[in-house]
Amino acid sequence: MSNRDNENFEPKIVAFLCKWCAYSGADLAGVSRLEYPPNVIPILVPCSGKVDMQFILKAFKEGADGVFIGGCHTPNDCHYISGNYKALKRFTLMRKYLEQLGINSKRIRLEWISATEGVKFAKVMKEFVEEIKKLGPLQTR
Amino acid sequence: MKKIKIAVAPGSSCGGCDVALVNLNEKLLDITNYADIVFWPTALDFKIEDLEQVNEIDIGIFVGAIRHEDHVKLAKLLREKSKIIVALGSCACYGGIFSLANLFEKKDLLETVYQKTITTENSNGKMPTESIKMGNIDISLPKLTNWCLPLKNLIDVDIYAPGCPPGERVLEKLYNIIIDFVKNGTVPDKGIALEPLKTLCDICPRKKPEKIVIRKFKRIHEVKLDPELCFLAQGVICLGPISIAGCDANCIKANIPCRGCLGPNQDIHDVAAKFISAIASLVQIDKEKELEEEEIVNLIEEIVDPIGTFHRFTFGSGIFNKKQEDVME
Repeated sequence: MSNRDNENFEPKIVAFLCKWCAYSGADLAGVSRLEYPPNVIPILVPCSGKVDMQFILKAFKEGADGVFIGGCHTPNDCHYISGNYKALKRFTLMRKYLEQLGINSKRIRLEWISATEGVKFAKVMKEFVEEIKKLGPLQTR
Repeated sequence: MKKIKIAVAPGSSCGGCDVALVNLNEKLLDITNYADIVFWPTALDFKIEDLEQVNEIDIGIFVGAIRHEDHVKLAKLLREKSKIIVALGSCACYGGIFSLANLFEKKDLLETVYQKTITTENSNGKMPTESIKMGNIDISLPKLTNWCLPLKNLIDVDIYAPGCPPGERVLEKLYNIIIDFVKNGTVPDKGIALEPLKTLCDICPRKKPEKIVIRKFKRIHEVKLDPELCFLAQGVICLGPISIAGCDANCIKANIPCRGCLGPNQDIHDVAAKFISAIASLVQIDKEKELEEEEIVNLIEEIVDPIGTFHRFTFGSGIFNKKQEDVME
């Protein structure tokens, strides 16, 4: 994975998906047989507000090229009332932190996806994988 | 009773940790009853050859981060000869403030220091060389290592005694370890010379409201600080929630928020990422739904320097401890 211009580069993407919305959305995309790239490794979390920002760094350190967080729509969809806002607030600061570290902040993405939005899930994943392909592999040191 | 041998070796350090050791006062005299100090260049005129001649050291104390090749040599030599290695101070334990230099490549650092600062006059663009021959004498300077790293990245460390500088409580614990080792031959457990799972908030004397909410971030000069109330509740960033307790809250008592010099609670892998998780979630609690997402984002973006603020003493031991080389626009 050393060549940035490698056309065959297949990014690894870790997706933290909330149990109530985004994960169900991903499930729906599956049962509806929608096509989206197989680069995504979904991880079920109880709530997007559960995603500790250390998880993101760890994912990058262990070889992920992009990290996705999927939660319920604001303002009122979160099962735990405001977990999605927690994710939004942390994500904002985390982007700044990554830029300072020298990691392009486009490598992390936060989206609100409801349980009925299988189509949106597939579309967002396609976009995100494309974006990361453009950026090339993340080389860490 | 046979006296033990202690060596204190300096890395990239400001000298504050050595002063903290001297600050043991009468206890230092007490230690000299049990131990010979065989190497301590900051306090007395020792050279590395003196350390080379010592056969065996019982306790080797390393102060400061690893920044150039002499530090590497010294640290490896100390490990080779010592039964117990103590990393004293936040630089030796976590990289300290010096490790913030890892946000830049070595080349850029040297250029900035020797050419680019406003107060530097260097029209010929001269850079320091590593060695020069004057007559028949070779004069050389140690080469900088590529990155500034904590001691544990180089050698195996037995005891961590953090702090900038290490406070009374840490040093007392270290003192007890030394005395126990001399009197009973007890080899201490590896790890930190503090209670590893307590945070500063646990021992903080300030009043904490039921719910801590930050409506706006403030810097300490922008607000008249209430000496009784939690800093976070006043909108001032304080690293108490993630910092290990071991300082008797001295800064807090002086009405200054915690900057995290003692390093993180032991289950934290990356101080800044953990603190981002903690502090961001306090912003506008219960009012989020009345605000636009953009307003919340703007509020949080007021924090201009997450690494410098949250990783002030610990960047060298974070999950990523160097500048990365990703494509940026």
